[in-house]
Amino acid sequence: MNKNIKREEIDKHRGDLRLDNVNVHYGDNHAIIDVSMFIKQKHVTAFIGPSGCGKSTLLRCLNRMNDEIVGCKTDGSIYWGGIDILGKDVDPVPLRRKVGMVFQKPNPFPKSIFDNIAYAPRIHGIRDKKKLIEIVEKSLKDAALFEEVGDRLGDSAMGLSGGQQQRLCIARTLAIQPEVILMDEPCSALDPIATAKIEDLIEELKKNYTVIIVTHNMQQAARVSDYTGFFYLGKLIEFGETKQIFENPKEDLTEKYMTGRFG
Amino acid sequence: MTEKFHEELDALKKEVINMGSLAKKMLNYSVVALKDSDLKKGKWVADHKVKLADMDDKIEAEAFRLIALYQPMARDMREIACILKMITYLTRIGRYGKDIANVAFLLRDKTHVKKLVSIPYMAEIVNSLIDDALKVFKDDNVKRFNDFVEREGKTDALRYSIFRECLSYMIEDPKKIERCLYYVMVARYLERCADHACKMAEKIFYMVTGERVEIDCRDETSKSCFTGVKKDE
Repeated sequence: MNKNIKREEIDKHRGDLRLDNVNVHYGDNHAIIDVSMFIKQKHVTAFIGPSGCGKSTLLRCLNRMNDEIVGCKTDGSIYWGGIDILGKDVDPVPLRRKVGMVFQKPNPFPKSIFDNIAYAPRIHGIRDKKKLIEIVEKSLKDAALFEEVGDRLGDSAMGLSGGQQQRLCIARTLAIQPEVILMDEPCSALDPIATAKIEDLIEELKKNYTVIIVTHNMQQAARVSDYTGFFYLGKLIEFGETKQIFENPKEDLTEKYMTGRFG
Repeated sequence: MTEKFHEELDALKKEVINMGSLAKKMLNYSVVALKDSDLKKGKWVADHKVKLADMDDKIEAEAFRLIALYQPMARDMREIACILKMITYLTRIGRYGKDIANVAFLLRDKTHVKKLVSIPYMAEIVNSLIDDALKVFKDDNVKRFNDFVEREGKTDALRYSIFRECLSYMIEDPKKIERCLYYVMVARYLERCADHACKMAEKIFYMVTGERVEIDCRDETSKSCFTGVKKDE
């Protein structure tokens, strides 16, 4: 009986990410120092901190993007679904299918809107036209873009506005049904209206996905996230519920950063 | 930009302290006006009603401006939130001063039923509460709140004692009813002022520590009931 309860408990947390003593070196530079944290599935977690504090580096650990950087060495463990995704035996390509990423600047392919989204599913072997249309429509709807571009899917994605391009990139990520979405400053190149749309979208996305967002805009972190981690010089200084971090930070450094009394 | 914000926030805090001093003075002068039938002081209180209201509006507008321009967080946000609450309490305290000054005018041709002792004593306690709240607002030393529950309790007890005393005078001599009713009202105003001072203290405590406590709590089981700050904190 007890065993069953334990199993249920474990299953419930299967999608959570557990970081254990993660360290990242870029050559001699120790960019991430002993970071351990727990990222809850289907919640939004925000990483904040001054430039160069390591938040983007840590984000890139979560889908092994740092593997692509020469001289970058990652130690420690990130457990997800019972597997250490930093393990040597883990192939980063299928991992990245499960852990999608949206970047600072929207980077659509110079193709049609349809092809942008159908690109990855095609690579993964989906050839059926009907199935592809279905995926494109669903992804666009989930990214709150379908209403705006549904009648011109054949147009070039480069003709969309910045905010639409960014949502297209999110739709492109959703097309291969990831479980985690990493967002690295997704709104920094967007105007306030487009930003608001992305923020609304993040709110929607967390129903089905685990979202981890890096942002310099603290108000944005406060608005969209459930949990916030504050980083400084590669260390995780404070991690907790967003409300607590922004209203009543426990650490002096966090308080100083929030109130702009840094340096 | 943040330096400018902190300069502006500090200036706003000073303005709140000025407003607090005015509200306190209005209350004190009104009690002296009542006790000594000092109509000059009473008039001073009445004349400063508008100034207090103006300060309230001005500070509120400035707080909104700072929020809109800088979107403060953490301690900064708590300070502005505290300011917005404090000015309401301070306005209420000043207004009670004006009400008491009004009573002084109404009773100007009458002698007191006896020398007023409890009312000035109550006012003294209220004054100490407001004073300490403003001091903590300035220097963060929340230990000053340690005996607030006790002092607030004293004003409650005084209010009931004044009520009972007045009741016996009224039963004794119907000619004293008007005056005694006013005393009961004034005692009630002062007790409310003590409550407002305690509410301010709660907000200031939150501003300093980020923790919510209840100072004016009669329910002993209340979780957040303020039990004082330990020496080493």
